Amino acid sequence: MGPTDCIAALPPATASQGPQRTAAGQAPLLSFPLKSLEKEMPDRIRVLSVLVEDGPNTLSKISGVIRRRGFHVLAISVGPSRQPGRSRLTLQIDHGHAEADQVRKQLERLVEVIEIEDVTGEQVHSRELIVAKVSASEVKSLVDRGAKVLDTGPDGTTVEFAGEGKDVGDFVNELMRHGILDVARSGPVVMRRTA
Amino acid sequence: MILEALEREGVELIFGYPGGANLPIYQHLPEHPKLKHILVRHEQGAAHMADGYARACGKPGVVFATSGPGALNLVTGLCTAYMDSVSMIAITGQVNSTQVGRDAFQESDVIGATSSVTKHSYLVTSIDQLPRVIHEAFHIATTGRPGPVLIDICKDVQMAEAERVTPERLEIPGYQLNGHVNLDRAREAAQALAGAERPVILAGHGVLLSHAEAQLSLLAEKAAAPVGTTLLGIGAFPVNHPLSLHMTGFMGTGWNIKAVQNADVLMMVGMRVDDRVTARLADFAPKVKTFIHIDIDGSEMGKNVRPHIELVADAKQALTAIIEHLPEPEKSRGAWLAQIDAWREEHPLRYTHSNGHLQPQDVLVDMYRRCRSEAIVVADVGQNQIWAALWWNYDRPGLFLNSGGSGTMGFALPAAIGAKFGRPDKAVWCVAGEGGFVMTAQELSVAVEHQLDIKIVLLNNFSLGMVRQFQDDFYGGVRSQVDLTHMPDFVKLADAYGLPAIRVTKLEEVGPAIDAAERAKGPFLIDFRIDPEANVYPIVPLGKSLNDFWEAPDK
Repeated sequence: MGPTDCIAALPPATASQGPQRTAAGQAPLLSFPLKSLEKEMPDRIRVLSVLVEDGPNTLSKISGVIRRRGFHVLAISVGPSRQPGRSRLTLQIDHGHAEADQVRKQLERLVEVIEIEDVTGEQVHSRELIVAKVSASEVKSLVDRGAKVLDTGPDGTTVEFAGEGKDVGDFVNELMRHGILDVARSGPVVMRRTA
Repeated sequence: MILEALEREGVELIFGYPGGANLPIYQHLPEHPKLKHILVRHEQGAAHMADGYARACGKPGVVFATSGPGALNLVTGLCTAYMDSVSMIAITGQVNSTQVGRDAFQESDVIGATSSVTKHSYLVTSIDQLPRVIHEAFHIATTGRPGPVLIDICKDVQMAEAERVTPERLEIPGYQLNGHVNLDRAREAAQALAGAERPVILAGHGVLLSHAEAQLSLLAEKAAAPVGTTLLGIGAFPVNHPLSLHMTGFMGTGWNIKAVQNADVLMMVGMRVDDRVTARLADFAPKVKTFIHIDIDGSEMGKNVRPHIELVADAKQALTAIIEHLPEPEKSRGAWLAQIDAWREEHPLRYTHSNGHLQPQDVLVDMYRRCRSEAIVVADVGQNQIWAALWWNYDRPGLFLNSGGSGTMGFALPAAIGAKFGRPDKAVWCVAGEGGFVMTAQELSVAVEHQLDIKIVLLNNFSLGMVRQFQDDFYGGVRSQVDLTHMPDFVKLADAYGLPAIRVTKLEEVGPAIDAAERAKGPFLIDFRIDPEANVYPIVPLGKSLNDFWEAPDK
């Protein structure tokens, strides 16, 4: 996977974080023009994998630096890491007018940040999770794409799907045909490919 | 336990103010006679005193404040120290750990409010954390790029009993110091400098913090490269040195600006290259082929100007490494240095003498002559700051202190008090305008209480002079809210606080007044009624290029 592939795969996650454009009758999440976003912004997006101290101030300090330096969080995932007392953060950040590497450098200054890796354009596995409730009860085409049915009932069907950002974006397009009632979507988690 | 830890860290002096949430600390303070506590009159004053103390003597300044308003009053002082990389430890009281988040009396989110103006901060909710936190805080505040560190300690932790704990070995996984210089880059930098036709070196506060003045002079002389300093770098290179360009930036000297704008290799050492140095960024040093940037903080590389050669290192280490690799300059520097001399002749510093008013420069030059490069001069912010920076040939480090990055009005008096505590052997002069002075004038009480030898030079023009000058020149000449018509009679004010003061309105009174100040024991104030129209020159109009600097008009 080359740099362009990776970047192209990641921006769809921005849809849920982007400006709320409310075209009539559509959820803001889905009205965001994904394709044009990819064209406009890819150069300004960095993907960072950050190992941090799991403390009460850590997240607010990280978000404080991002805000103060004029960056913008497009997606964020936090979870425990392999080491006790440390969390793994995956950030997708628009670095605004600053040099691309400033995001990493500014976050590195925080004592709470133990290790930071800029994996933009690197060979990574990137996964996002989406959980959606659709009004249709017939969801075979979703299941064919790899979705798992969590429950079904008279109100609709709840499914989950995980994949690269681009696949999740495509999955959203498929969901739309099933009448989306509700949707929750995570930011990406990434890991360097071993081969 | 807190106080013992401070003693272990070598603290001798604390600037502070007690209140509800730090009373347990104050209860035990008298048991620690080695810790001298200075009771300030406002917490902002404490922060600036600690700042002045740290800048003057190199040890971290320590501040105590209570929760809520007490801690929040520190914010401006923390920001001032943070912007100028000054080491400071602020210990604030917080409500009981069980009350945090319940909007308790005098509770505020101090960590949240200060995160962006501290190098690091801690909220201590358990006594077990305390020894480690205090030890770490001092380490972080004083190493690498120095800065303020805040420790917010819950009141129940202050009261908790604990066995005497020796601090743990320092292990801060997220805090790494830049321990080495990439010698390949040092060689490249040396070659670029030696190969330059029109080299310029600019030196910032980092050179002073790293005590690299000797290395800077050696490099400049070996490379025959002229040296300018930033406002905070004043003293890093002697102004009377033939290679000196004096101060750089948008209020720098004409010959400095000309040199920077015509240089082909520009080496920037221990500085942030901020907007006050570059003026309009797109036009900064347009002829430079090789930017070399040395700073201990890697995030400064390319933050404002993208260097071709970057050395993330302590200034002394980097300069030493560059000197080792410096070849003989390839090209003769005669023409370049002669050109700079010509610019020095063409664009001298000058001011109007003859309009019948007392000129601030007359006052400062007289003051400086008596200081004989021995006294510490602490300037406030505004015109007084730039006059004080430009109108003396500083020839050694550590004598000129001011709030450069943050530009905090009201800094000078408390910082001068702190500087005097830090260097009691030095005469300390405080230069301020009347606008900034009244922002923290309550700290006069501290100067009087401790009979500190601080001489206050008030450059009183009954207006916010720098703002007035900007309005006159860059905002359509509309003078808006700059006249300070109702100010105290400063001689009476001084009297009320208990210090002697005199008023000076004429040039011939300047010398005797400064004599009187020098002779007096303890604090002394002189209210100099200066020309209300006096301006700072040179100056680059806001938003313009360095090339567009204005000089003092001919009068």
